[in-house]
Amino acid sequence: MKRTLFRQRPDASSVGLDVGALAPMVDMMVLLLVFLLRTYSTDLAPAPLNEPFALAGTTADADRRGGVELLVSAEAVYLNGQRVAAWEYIEGSGVIDPLYTLLLQVRPKVRAEVHADAGVPWRRLERVLQTAQAAGVEEIALVGVWRGP
Amino acid sequence: MRLFRQHPTEEADVRPTLLGVVTLLFLLLFFLLSTSSGQRLGVIDLRLAAPGEAPPLPHSGLVKSVRLAVAERTVTIEFEVATTDIAAASESRELRRIDVPARSGSLDGVALAEALGTIHSIDPGQLEAEVHPDDDVSTATLLDVLDAVRGPTAAPLFPRVSLR
Repeated sequence: MKRTLFRQRPDASSVGLDVGALAPMVDMMVLLLVFLLRTYSTDLAPAPLNEPFALAGTTADADRRGGVELLVSAEAVYLNGQRVAAWEYIEGSGVIDPLYTLLLQVRPKVRAEVHADAGVPWRRLERVLQTAQAAGVEEIALVGVWRGP
Repeated sequence: MRLFRQHPTEEADVRPTLLGVVTLLFLLLFFLLSTSSGQRLGVIDLRLAAPGEAPPLPHSGLVKSVRLAVAERTVTIEFEVATTDIAAASESRELRRIDVPARSGSLDGVALAEALGTIHSIDPGQLEAEVHPDDDVSTATLLDVLDAVRGPTAAPLFPRVSLR
């Protein structure tokens, strides 16, 4: 007597393609896409190559509007990705001369966005902001990592 | 008399359509993951006092000025309140102060938001605040304070923040 090990289903071609199984999958994908569109960003945060850098968190949800990119790390100041000066050589107070000279040459410089490491003290950040202001930048914004409302 | 002949209708197979939608969503998902970053950025527009800039004229409402002295873990809020009717010929003011102490060794954001909410409720028309950070205040603390001063987007407290 022939014994069947597996029970044959009446319509084997429709296994796994049931509408009732596909519909929740579509729902899940849509939810996943909405979540990604809400939380992901196409604006990659600039960061120095050879040193640790972490932006501070913020609840501000305004998007970036471009402009001159100033990066302030624990070790140095960068302008549009180019290292301007290390802090050990520009400690002090007032305008940062090398940054000021370079900023004067940048066109246009209506707006500047400052990406500062979370640990950078105000005395350094203030000097960068003062320098940008002295060089004629009209709008200055501070950029952080959005951490939700 | 029947004008149209009735055809026996066959139930349409929706599985290919659904499979197409799923495939499209998979492609979109892959595209999104490959072109974006999980780190979304937020921007705070700053208003910096120019060198030699005079302080702003006093606000006409009850709260004349709001000033925050920020240390790494504590914040002191000083605000001037008119104690006479705002239309009175001679006005007297009172300087009030709220200290926000550290909590568990860090800035107490909840207490700060509550204190700022209290001041805002006295005079919702006052939209300006001055932030004076200490030299050693980190950017992380500064952003926390700025977020608290500006308040949530839906119900802003003092959206015009000056850094001095």
